[in-house]
Amino acid sequence: MIAFVRDDGGVTARLTGDEAAALRNLSGQLVAMLLDRSTQVQGDAAAVLYAQAGIGGGEHAPLDPALARLLPDAYLEDPDAASEHRHLTERGIVDRKIQNARRLAADLDSDRSPVVVRLDEAAVQAWLRTLTDLRLTLAARLEIVEDGDEGRADDESDLAMLTIYDWLGYLQGSLVDCVSASLDERDATDA
Amino acid sequence: MAELVESPVEDLDRLGLPDRPWVTIVWNDPVNLMNYVSYVFRSYFGYSATEAERLMLLVHHEGRAVVATGGREQMERHVEAMHDYGLWATLSKADA
Repeated sequence: MIAFVRDDGGVTARLTGDEAAALRNLSGQLVAMLLDRSTQVQGDAAAVLYAQAGIGGGEHAPLDPALARLLPDAYLEDPDAASEHRHLTERGIVDRKIQNARRLAADLDSDRSPVVVRLDEAAVQAWLRTLTDLRLTLAARLEIVEDGDEGRADDESDLAMLTIYDWLGYLQGSLVDCVSASLDERDATDA
Repeated sequence: MAELVESPVEDLDRLGLPDRPWVTIVWNDPVNLMNYVSYVFRSYFGYSATEAERLMLLVHHEGRAVVATGGREQMERHVEAMHDYGLWATLSKADA
Protein backbone atom coordinates (compact mmCIF):
# COMPACT_ATOMS: atom_id res chain seq x y z
CA MET A 1 0.00 0.00 0.00
CA ILE A 2 1.01 3.56 -0.63
CA ALA A 3 -1.10 5.64 1.75
CA PHE A 4 -2.83 8.87 0.74
CA VAL A 5 -0.78 11.66 -0.78
CA ARG A 6 -1.92 14.95 -2.27
CA ASP A 7 -1.77 15.60 -5.96
CA ASP A 8 -3.25 18.49 -7.92
CA GLY A 9 -6.55 19.21 -6.29
CA GLY A 10 -7.14 15.72 -4.95
CA VAL A 11 -5.70 12.89 -2.90
CA THR A 12 -4.48 9.54 -4.13
CA ALA A 13 -3.68 6.19 -2.55
CA ARG A 14 -2.49 2.97 -4.07
CA LEU A 15 -3.84 -0.28 -2.59
CA THR A 16 -3.04 -3.83 -3.55
CA GLY A 17 -5.90 -5.89 -4.94
CA ASP A 18 -6.10 -7.80 -1.64
CA GLU A 19 -6.22 -4.60 0.42
CA ALA A 20 -8.96 -3.15 -1.78
CA ALA A 21 -10.94 -6.39 -1.54
CA ALA A 22 -10.58 -6.41 2.26
CA LEU A 23 -11.79 -2.82 2.48
CA ARG A 24 -14.76 -3.54 0.19
CA ASN A 25 -15.63 -6.51 2.33
CA LEU A 26 -15.45 -4.50 5.57
CA SER A 27 -17.62 -1.76 4.07
CA GLY A 28 -20.14 -4.38 3.03
CA GLN A 29 -20.25 -5.70 6.59
CA LEU A 30 -20.70 -2.19 7.93
CA VAL A 31 -23.60 -1.56 5.52
CA ALA A 32 -25.20 -4.87 6.53
CA MET A 33 -24.91 -4.01 10.23
CA LEU A 34 -26.46 -0.57 9.67
CA LEU A 35 -29.25 -1.92 7.44
CA ASP A 36 -30.01 -4.42 10.16
CA ARG A 37 -30.47 -1.56 12.61
CA SER A 38 -32.79 0.27 10.17
CA THR A 39 -34.92 -2.84 9.80
CA GLN A 40 -35.11 -3.42 13.54
CA VAL A 41 -36.43 0.04 14.23
CA GLN A 42 -38.83 0.11 11.31
CA GLY A 43 -42.36 0.42 12.64
CA ASP A 44 -45.83 1.09 11.28
CA ALA A 45 -46.95 2.82 8.07
CA ALA A 46 -46.41 6.27 9.56
CA ALA A 47 -42.84 5.35 10.46
CA VAL A 48 -42.25 4.29 6.86
CA LEU A 49 -43.46 7.70 5.65
CA TYR A 50 -41.22 9.50 8.11
CA ALA A 51 -38.35 7.27 7.05
CA GLN A 52 -38.65 8.59 3.51
CA ALA A 53 -38.02 12.03 4.93
CA GLY A 54 -35.01 10.71 6.83
CA ILE A 55 -36.79 10.92 10.17
CA GLY A 56 -37.04 8.02 12.55
CA GLY A 57 -34.97 5.80 14.75
CA GLY A 58 -35.03 3.51 17.72
CA GLU A 59 -36.18 4.45 21.17
CA HIS A 60 -33.05 3.25 22.85
CA ALA A 61 -29.37 2.93 22.07
CA PRO A 62 -28.51 -0.28 20.22
CA LEU A 63 -27.46 -3.22 22.41
CA ASP A 64 -24.61 -4.17 20.11
CA PRO A 65 -21.56 -2.27 21.41
CA ALA A 66 -20.34 -1.37 17.93
CA LEU A 67 -23.72 0.05 16.86
CA ALA A 68 -24.06 1.75 20.24
CA ARG A 69 -20.75 3.50 19.61
CA LEU A 70 -21.74 4.54 16.07
CA LEU A 71 -25.13 5.78 17.29
CA PRO A 72 -24.59 7.09 20.82
CA ASP A 73 -27.20 8.83 22.94
CA ALA A 74 -27.20 12.60 22.42
CA TYR A 75 -28.18 13.21 26.06
CA LEU A 76 -26.17 11.51 28.77
CA GLU A 77 -28.42 12.08 31.77
CA ASP A 78 -31.85 12.47 30.24
CA PRO A 79 -33.16 9.17 28.81
CA ASP A 80 -36.41 10.74 27.56
CA ALA A 81 -34.64 13.50 25.64
CA ALA A 82 -32.13 10.94 24.31
CA SER A 83 -34.94 8.74 23.09
CA GLU A 84 -36.79 11.62 21.46
CA HIS A 85 -33.66 12.88 19.74
CA ARG A 86 -32.80 9.39 18.54
CA HIS A 87 -36.29 9.03 17.12
CA LEU A 88 -35.83 12.18 15.06
CA THR A 89 -32.26 11.75 13.88
CA GLU A 90 -31.07 8.16 13.98
CA ARG A 91 -32.40 7.11 10.61
CA GLY A 92 -30.76 10.06 8.91
CA ILE A 93 -27.41 9.26 10.52
CA VAL A 94 -27.71 5.57 9.61
CA ASP A 95 -28.64 6.42 6.00
CA ARG A 96 -25.68 8.77 5.63
CA LYS A 97 -23.31 6.20 7.12
CA ILE A 98 -24.62 3.61 4.65
CA GLN A 99 -24.20 5.99 1.71
CA ASN A 100 -20.64 6.80 2.76
CA ALA A 101 -19.69 3.14 3.12
CA ARG A 102 -21.20 2.33 -0.29
CA ARG A 103 -19.29 5.22 -1.81
CA LEU A 104 -16.03 3.84 -0.43
CA ALA A 105 -16.80 0.36 -1.76
CA ALA A 106 -17.68 1.83 -5.17
CA ASP A 107 -14.42 3.78 -5.29
CA LEU A 108 -12.58 0.48 -4.77
CA ASP A 109 -14.54 -1.45 -7.35
CA SER A 110 -11.75 -2.68 -9.57
CA ASP A 111 -10.29 -6.02 -10.60
CA ARG A 112 -6.89 -4.50 -11.15
CA SER A 113 -3.99 -4.54 -8.76
CA PRO A 114 -2.82 -2.16 -7.53
CA VAL A 115 -6.04 -0.18 -7.21
CA VAL A 116 -5.33 3.53 -7.55
CA VAL A 117 -7.88 5.50 -5.55
CA ARG A 118 -8.25 9.17 -6.43
CA LEU A 119 -10.70 11.12 -4.28
CA ASP A 120 -12.37 14.49 -4.78
CA GLU A 121 -13.62 16.54 -1.83
CA ALA A 122 -16.97 14.78 -1.50
CA ALA A 123 -15.35 11.36 -1.66
CA VAL A 124 -12.77 12.40 0.96
CA GLN A 125 -15.60 13.18 3.38
CA ALA A 126 -17.24 9.81 2.75
CA TRP A 127 -13.91 8.03 3.22
CA LEU A 128 -12.97 9.88 6.42
CA ARG A 129 -16.30 9.00 8.00
CA THR A 130 -16.38 5.40 6.83
CA LEU A 131 -12.79 4.68 7.89
CA THR A 132 -13.78 6.07 11.29
CA ASP A 133 -16.91 3.93 11.47
CA LEU A 134 -14.93 0.84 10.51
CA ARG A 135 -12.29 1.51 13.16
CA LEU A 136 -14.94 2.18 15.82
CA THR A 137 -16.64 -1.09 14.90
CA LEU A 138 -13.43 -3.13 15.00
CA ALA A 139 -12.42 -1.48 18.29
CA ALA A 140 -15.75 -2.46 19.84
CA ARG A 141 -15.25 -6.07 18.70
CA LEU A 142 -11.68 -6.05 20.04
CA GLU A 143 -12.84 -4.53 23.35
CA ILE A 144 -10.74 -1.40 22.95
CA VAL A 145 -12.70 0.87 25.26
CA GLU A 146 -10.16 3.06 27.04
CA ASP A 147 -6.96 4.85 26.13
CA GLY A 148 -4.12 2.37 26.36
CA ASP A 149 -6.24 -0.72 25.56
CA GLU A 150 -4.32 -2.79 23.06
CA GLY A 151 -7.23 -4.97 22.07
CA ARG A 152 -8.15 -8.57 22.69
CA ALA A 153 -5.66 -10.96 21.13
CA ASP A 154 -7.02 -14.39 22.06
CA ASP A 155 -6.81 -16.10 18.70
CA GLU A 156 -5.86 -15.79 15.04
CA SER A 157 -9.07 -13.99 14.21
CA ASP A 158 -8.42 -11.33 16.86
CA LEU A 159 -4.88 -10.86 15.58
CA ALA A 160 -6.13 -10.48 12.02
CA MET A 161 -8.66 -7.88 13.18
CA LEU A 162 -5.97 -6.00 15.11
CA THR A 163 -3.78 -5.89 12.01
CA ILE A 164 -6.66 -4.49 9.96
CA TYR A 165 -7.48 -2.00 12.72
CA ASP A 166 -3.91 -0.66 12.71
CA TRP A 167 -3.81 -0.62 8.93
CA LEU A 168 -7.04 1.39 8.73
CA GLY A 169 -5.60 3.83 11.27
CA TYR A 170 -2.53 4.31 9.12
CA LEU A 171 -4.63 4.81 6.00
CA GLN A 172 -6.96 7.26 7.71
CA GLY A 173 -4.09 9.14 9.35
CA SER A 174 -2.56 9.75 5.94
CA LEU A 175 -5.89 10.99 4.56
CA VAL A 176 -6.35 13.36 7.51
CA ASP A 177 -2.81 14.71 7.00
CA CYS A 178 -3.69 15.49 3.37
CA VAL A 179 -6.91 17.37 4.15
CA SER A 180 -5.34 19.18 7.12
CA ALA A 181 -2.54 20.38 4.83
CA SER A 182 -5.23 21.74 2.48
CA LEU A 183 -6.77 23.65 5.39
CA ASP A 184 -3.31 25.01 6.30
CA GLU A 185 -2.91 26.32 2.76
CA ARG A 186 -6.36 27.88 2.80
CA ASP A 187 -5.60 29.61 6.12
CA ALA A 188 -2.25 30.85 4.81
CA THR A 189 -3.99 32.33 1.75
CA ASP A 190 -6.65 34.02 3.88
CA ALA A 191 -4.09 35.49 6.27
CA MET B 1 -26.45 56.59 16.02
CA ALA B 2 -25.48 53.25 17.36
CA GLU B 3 -23.00 51.21 15.46
CA LEU B 4 -24.19 47.99 13.96
CA VAL B 5 -22.40 45.30 15.88
CA GLU B 6 -22.07 41.83 14.55
CA SER B 7 -23.00 39.38 17.26
CA PRO B 8 -21.41 36.00 17.49
CA VAL B 9 -23.90 33.22 16.82
CA GLU B 10 -23.72 32.12 20.45
CA ASP B 11 -25.06 35.43 21.64
CA LEU B 12 -27.91 35.45 19.14
CA ASP B 13 -28.93 32.00 20.26
CA ARG B 14 -28.97 33.07 23.84
CA LEU B 15 -31.66 35.62 23.09
CA GLY B 16 -35.05 34.25 23.96
CA LEU B 17 -33.54 31.71 26.30
CA PRO B 18 -34.53 32.61 29.82
CA ASP B 19 -31.94 30.46 31.50
CA ARG B 20 -28.44 29.23 30.81
CA PRO B 21 -27.56 28.05 27.32
CA TRP B 22 -26.69 24.61 26.09
CA VAL B 23 -23.31 23.13 25.31
CA THR B 24 -21.98 20.51 22.92
CA ILE B 25 -19.48 18.22 24.63
CA VAL B 26 -17.05 15.94 22.81
CA TRP B 27 -15.80 12.98 24.84
CA ASN B 28 -12.51 11.17 24.64
CA ASP B 29 -12.39 7.76 23.02
CA PRO B 30 -9.43 5.43 22.44
CA VAL B 31 -10.08 5.07 18.71
CA ASN B 32 -10.27 8.41 16.97
CA LEU B 33 -6.94 9.78 15.81
CA MET B 34 -5.80 13.04 17.34
CA ASN B 35 -5.25 14.62 13.93
CA TYR B 36 -8.77 13.57 12.89
CA VAL B 37 -10.40 15.16 15.94
CA SER B 38 -8.48 18.41 15.29
CA TYR B 39 -9.48 18.28 11.63
CA VAL B 40 -13.17 17.88 12.53
CA PHE B 41 -13.04 20.84 14.93
CA ARG B 42 -11.36 22.95 12.25
CA SER B 43 -13.44 22.00 9.28
CA TYR B 44 -16.87 21.68 10.92
CA PHE B 45 -16.78 24.43 13.56
CA GLY B 46 -14.34 26.65 11.68
CA TYR B 47 -11.86 26.88 14.57
CA SER B 48 -8.31 27.98 13.86
CA ALA B 49 -5.66 25.27 13.79
CA THR B 50 -4.42 26.44 17.20
CA GLU B 51 -7.84 26.45 18.84
CA ALA B 52 -8.78 23.09 17.30
CA GLU B 53 -5.55 21.62 18.64
CA ARG B 54 -6.22 23.07 22.10
CA LEU B 55 -9.73 21.60 22.22
CA MET B 56 -8.50 18.24 20.92
CA LEU B 57 -5.86 18.08 23.67
CA LEU B 58 -8.48 19.03 26.24
CA VAL B 59 -10.62 16.09 25.09
CA HIS B 60 -7.57 13.83 25.16
CA HIS B 61 -6.28 14.83 28.60
CA GLU B 62 -9.43 15.83 30.47
CA GLY B 63 -11.71 13.27 28.87
CA ARG B 64 -14.10 15.88 27.47
CA ALA B 65 -14.33 19.42 26.16
CA VAL B 66 -17.08 21.91 25.47
CA VAL B 67 -16.74 22.64 21.76
CA ALA B 68 -19.81 24.87 21.23
CA THR B 69 -22.30 26.90 23.25
CA GLY B 70 -25.71 28.14 22.19
CA GLY B 71 -29.36 27.27 21.75
CA ARG B 72 -30.61 23.73 22.23
CA GLU B 73 -31.60 23.07 18.62
CA GLN B 74 -28.27 24.27 17.32
CA MET B 75 -26.44 22.04 19.82
CA GLU B 76 -28.59 19.10 18.72
CA ARG B 77 -27.50 19.72 15.13
CA HIS B 78 -23.86 19.86 16.22
CA VAL B 79 -24.18 16.57 18.11
CA GLU B 80 -25.79 14.93 15.09
CA ALA B 81 -22.94 16.20 12.90
CA MET B 82 -20.35 14.88 15.37
CA HIS B 83 -22.04 11.45 15.27
CA ASP B 84 -21.81 11.60 11.46
CA TYR B 85 -18.06 12.08 11.91
CA GLY B 86 -17.88 9.23 14.43
CA LEU B 87 -17.00 11.48 17.37
CA TRP B 88 -18.71 10.78 20.66
CA ALA B 89 -20.68 13.92 21.49
CA THR B 90 -23.55 14.87 23.78
CA LEU B 91 -25.40 18.05 24.64
CA SER B 92 -26.49 19.35 28.01
CA LYS B 93 -27.29 22.57 29.78
CA ALA B 94 -24.25 24.69 30.48
CA ASP B 95 -23.00 24.54 34.06
CA ALA B 96 -24.52 27.32 36.08
